[in-house]
Amino acid sequence: MRSSMKLQYLIPLALILAGCGSKDQVASTPDSTTAPSSAKKVLKVALLTPGPVSDAGWSALAYEGLQGIKQDLGAEVSQQEATDAKIKDAMRTYAQKDYDLVFGHGFEYNKPGVELAKDFPKTVFISSSGGETAPNAGAFRFYLEQSCYLAGYVAGKLSKTGAVGSVAVQNYPSIVSTLKAYEAGARAANPKIKIIPTSYFGTEGDVAKAKQATESVLGQGADFVIHQANAAAQGVFEACKEKHAFAFGTNANQNDNPSGIVIASAVIVAKPAFLELAKKVQDGTYKGEVSLFGMDKGAIDFVFNPKLSTQVPADVQKAVDDLKAKIKSGALVVPKDNF
Amino acid sequence: MNELLLLIGYSAPVGLAAVGETVSQKSGVINIGLEGAMLCSAFVSMLVCHATGNAALGVAAGMLTGCAISLVFGVFTVILGGDQVVVGTAINLFSLGLTGTLFRSIFGQSGQLISVSKIPNWHGLDPLLAFLLVSLPLVTWLLTRTKWGLAVRSAGEYPKATVAAGYSVLGLRLEALTLGGVFAGLAGTYLSLGITGTFAENMTAGRGFVAIAMVTFGRWKPSLAFASALLIGFAESLQFRFQSYGWKVPYQLMIALPYVIALLVLVIVGKGAASPQALGQPYRREN
Repeated sequence: MRSSMKLQYLIPLALILAGCGSKDQVASTPDSTTAPSSAKKVLKVALLTPGPVSDAGWSALAYEGLQGIKQDLGAEVSQQEATDAKIKDAMRTYAQKDYDLVFGHGFEYNKPGVELAKDFPKTVFISSSGGETAPNAGAFRFYLEQSCYLAGYVAGKLSKTGAVGSVAVQNYPSIVSTLKAYEAGARAANPKIKIIPTSYFGTEGDVAKAKQATESVLGQGADFVIHQANAAAQGVFEACKEKHAFAFGTNANQNDNPSGIVIASAVIVAKPAFLELAKKVQDGTYKGEVSLFGMDKGAIDFVFNPKLSTQVPADVQKAVDDLKAKIKSGALVVPKDNF
Repeated sequence: MNELLLLIGYSAPVGLAAVGETVSQKSGVINIGLEGAMLCSAFVSMLVCHATGNAALGVAAGMLTGCAISLVFGVFTVILGGDQVVVGTAINLFSLGLTGTLFRSIFGQSGQLISVSKIPNWHGLDPLLAFLLVSLPLVTWLLTRTKWGLAVRSAGEYPKATVAAGYSVLGLRLEALTLGGVFAGLAGTYLSLGITGTFAENMTAGRGFVAIAMVTFGRWKPSLAFASALLIGFAESLQFRFQSYGWKVPYQLMIALPYVIALLVLVIVGKGAASPQALGQPYRREN
């Protein structure tokens, strides 16, 4: 009896709260409806990420790209985490709300986007990596292999134990491709280098397992480690610090990590790529395509940690600069998997 | 010796949580919200350590958080008689959202890789590991050799008898949950301040659920529950080693290895029910 009394108060309260919420939403939309022809229609852009955008890496850089679109193009933006079966639902929801552009940040968003493109011709679906296209769907790919190749080269040159390794969250094709480029770089620097097989830890954000996986790679003799651990990267760095090994930062510039053992970072500069694609969609010139953003477009960079510059001999630094120039000019084509 | 301590260290989050959960379950409450309590503690202890630079304060804060979350679970399940699975699931989802939102609001939307000072250790042995090892005989003694332990066990077996003997079932269950919460808090804290010195969203990654399984696996005995956690931990360290040997077995299979072992052992040793009779049943006073 008592509990039903409480419910009587709770239900109206919940309704009032829900009402407040929906009013806010209504209030925020008129910008697009009250100013019809004078200004350009407000671009609506959505981003789907595989993990939290607070990972200071892969998902974070896409989020920053999205914020760039918001600032520079005045777009209305929205972001959501979506994996597996949720991907299509999330995409469909955005398309039904008349979003002009839906980014899916990863290989796994390519196929659902292309499939939905037929049903929603007014929405453009673009995924980061992937190979399928439709008139209003496609992919763009960061050529991160280029800087991972350079990381491998540095590791191959500087390794004292003659072994280098890698740690990653899952064997997604996009991740495997960057690790292969790292191994190719290491072999280019030192044909006798021993490559410790990648240790995968399986769960996004599981820092303890990332650390454990790194320890097993270091235990096999590696003294340089590259990671694709996203939010769990700190576990990789901690393990390297304890065992006096060096690590490479990936996706974002992680050189100033407190562990102090990040010797260089393979960096994605995401904003220009996101802006270029959003502008094309805004102008209506986007055609389904797979575009590649590499060092030549300034989307990929390899940055040494200035605080550890004493660890890198001048000839290695120079060799890396030469390789960078060759990659930019197209004289050196870094291997990448097609997927 | 060092290898063994390393193994205990990586198994400690599950081990600590499982010992505490044994106490809760002995009183008749399955704390499904264990995962959430661990995650919140991992976050709060990291935050306090980040703000003060003092790992001891972080441990204390993490422990209190574990108690608080477990008590929230207790209010809904023990006092209000809610379904333990439903309330626990709600707490887990809430904790994931809460820690994620706070983490982003404090350290920025795109996050940071944070590094805070860890619990100091002596040749790999730190105070929390020592506490875990000492707690095993202590908790066993508490449950099997004290009046309070007998009362708690009766609340989990046959609550009506507990009431007839003049005890409060709700009180006993809340006390057991609080003790379980201390362990859950320390488990989460050990993940952030003992092993990694950082926090990431969802960093507990299912360890709370593994701990609940370890209690069943350990036949509701603290030492056995800890031993099961060690076994799982051992299988886990083994699979990482196999991966870096480069064995051509899909790594997903290797990651599943610990759970396969757990299942097998359970099939072999798991004869006869040892679970508390009133486990998972809310107790309602009769008027």
